[in-house]
Amino acid sequence: MAWPGGKLPLGVFLTWRTKSEYNTGMPWTAGDFGVQAISAGVVVLFARRSKSPGDFGFAFSSKAGYRDETAGQISTNGEDHLLVLYLLCYISITVTMAEKPPRNEKVPKLHHEVRDPIHVFVHLDSDERRVLDSRPLQRLRYIHQLALTYLIYPGATHRRFEHSLGVMELAGRVFDVVTAQDKVTDRVRKAIPEITKQNELHYWRRVLRMAALAHDVGHLPFSHAAERELLPSGWDHERLTREIIYSEEMQNIWSKLTPPLRADDIVKVALGPKKAADLKPSVWETILSEIIVGDAFGVDRIDYLLRDSHHTGVAYGKFDHHRLIETLRILSHPDTDAPALGVEEGGLQSAEALLWARYLIYTQVYLHPIRRIYDIHLRDFLKVWLKNGRFSTQVRDHLRMTDSEVTSAILVSALRSNSAGHDAASRIVRRDHFKVLYERNPLDVRRNSEAARLVFEAAEKQFGSKNLRFDKYPAKGGSHDFPVLMSDGRILRSDAASEVLLKLPPVATEFVFIAPDKREKALSWLETNRKSIIEKGRKKNG
Amino acid sequence: MDRLQRRALLSGLADSLRQKGSWCGETHLQKATYFLQKLKKVPAGFDFFLYKHGPFSFDLRDELTAMRSDGLLDLRAQWPYGPSLIPTEESAELREQYSRTMQKYKKQLQFVADQLRNRNVSELEKLATALYLTMEESQRSVSQRAKRLHALKPHVTVDDAAKAVQEIDEIVKVSKAS
Repeated sequence: MAWPGGKLPLGVFLTWRTKSEYNTGMPWTAGDFGVQAISAGVVVLFARRSKSPGDFGFAFSSKAGYRDETAGQISTNGEDHLLVLYLLCYISITVTMAEKPPRNEKVPKLHHEVRDPIHVFVHLDSDERRVLDSRPLQRLRYIHQLALTYLIYPGATHRRFEHSLGVMELAGRVFDVVTAQDKVTDRVRKAIPEITKQNELHYWRRVLRMAALAHDVGHLPFSHAAERELLPSGWDHERLTREIIYSEEMQNIWSKLTPPLRADDIVKVALGPKKAADLKPSVWETILSEIIVGDAFGVDRIDYLLRDSHHTGVAYGKFDHHRLIETLRILSHPDTDAPALGVEEGGLQSAEALLWARYLIYTQVYLHPIRRIYDIHLRDFLKVWLKNGRFSTQVRDHLRMTDSEVTSAILVSALRSNSAGHDAASRIVRRDHFKVLYERNPLDVRRNSEAARLVFEAAEKQFGSKNLRFDKYPAKGGSHDFPVLMSDGRILRSDAASEVLLKLPPVATEFVFIAPDKREKALSWLETNRKSIIEKGRKKNG
Repeated sequence: MDRLQRRALLSGLADSLRQKGSWCGETHLQKATYFLQKLKKVPAGFDFFLYKHGPFSFDLRDELTAMRSDGLLDLRAQWPYGPSLIPTEESAELREQYSRTMQKYKKQLQFVADQLRNRNVSELEKLATALYLTMEESQRSVSQRAKRLHALKPHVTVDDAAKAVQEIDEIVKVSKAS
């Protein structure tokens, strides 16, 4: 243990240290002036600690046999001595050093690290930390990434906060790879002049990382689970994200960064052309947004697959993202010559693995039927608990509402049978959720693509609407079309370069859920009527 | 137009395009639907905006994928270009169910298929972008629109852009006359 402040107070101290110990250069510790010294019988009257052996002034010896450990000039012959006083050869140096404050070599810390289970460290500088410390970002500590999935996969208690950090970290890595000048072709330089200007690149790297960090700030409590039906028409979490990026609080931060950032640029890159088409993003801004929200290998997707897989404990979401990122390139699309985010041939298997990982984790985790019905029970609760049955779209109100407030309300409501939303709250708290009556399947879909809805409508008539719930997740996204740079220099479409990608099925589910006490009877009813329900729905002419 | 009517229409469009020799990939259907909505005023209800390869609709992309998932379109690989979207027997049945809708828009489908026939993706990108600019800035000259197209799509030369704008002016004229 070292003395605090690097100094010893004036006084009488006992010490015993061998010369060899001095030579190690180890600093003095309290122990050096304590118990060990008493046994050796060396008395030190005045001492100041440093790393130098000649660092104390006067020493008194009460008896012979002490070992001269300081500068090596004086030693005793083993006879008794009442008092030996000696002046150490470095006294002048010692006193001078003692008068001066210790050298302070600490420099201001401008770069910071945050520990992360997926990326080991997430790096950010002081400017970026100001954004991270803002209220909208800190609020994400209280928004679960996967809503109530922890009721099925208990480990899935991670939050949007760490996901946002992960997306920022990966976005920076991808940016550095795809803008490395030895990886950019002349054709791309011509189409994207920004990529050749170092000052602009510095600005856009900052925009990209901040857009990545802020891309989820608009999420409502329990993320996607509570979004459907609980916002006014025309609103979604992306629009709320946009409002927050434009808010006075965030504008103040953007304007004080080095360099100052334009909120419009952050919005365009964070949300992409799908949600910010009105801002008319340029080719370059579109590519930057692809780095975050791109369908094929956006870092949002890369991070959530890895992170959700880690926390749920399922292995499906894992793939070699390091390899993938190292092989990303901006390439001219073979069909049109337009620049787009693509991959070298060597990374194609990693891209395939990512897209299969997505397919598997969707079917195993995100679209797990019990997870889906908990989302519905949560929505049922919120519809009666929220004022006017809707979330507010005011930024101030949004920032005040997190999973914590909703969870508290659910727990209270579950205990009180006369409180608003008691039935739904109770089903969540007591795990008394609705059960699957019918699930979409290829055979019925081929007969009638509306089969699940028809079953729901018929069951609703038979067993009453309060006992039935319908859930639909339609297939989304397109075929996976990105350019691939082959080892011979040709650029091919991904779906021409990879047979695997073509075999990737679209993900879609539909469930009809029923109250547990009605399920047995309903299953028997469905067995009898299933065919007629599905066939009947086909007879329509329009 | 409800969802099933819209699906019948899209599968009819894919069918017409294929009959005219189109590759009928996702991009072909995107651009053809854009022409159908903007030029022929068929109320399919998709939101288009200017994207990487010209006018594009995320809603339409999702709908085409959902149609694949529901067995109405098949994705078939064809070297060396991207896959084609082939209408299935189930989609033919759907068109039969919605025969009145199909009859109502038959001419419009035919017109678009005739104009776009076997054009490749690069040509479709230029033409559809030229149409987008013409719809937004119809009072501007060919050269002004060509320069604007080049500014938006730097990989398209001004000359190629001008040709695309001229061709669109011609198609618009024929469309109005038909």
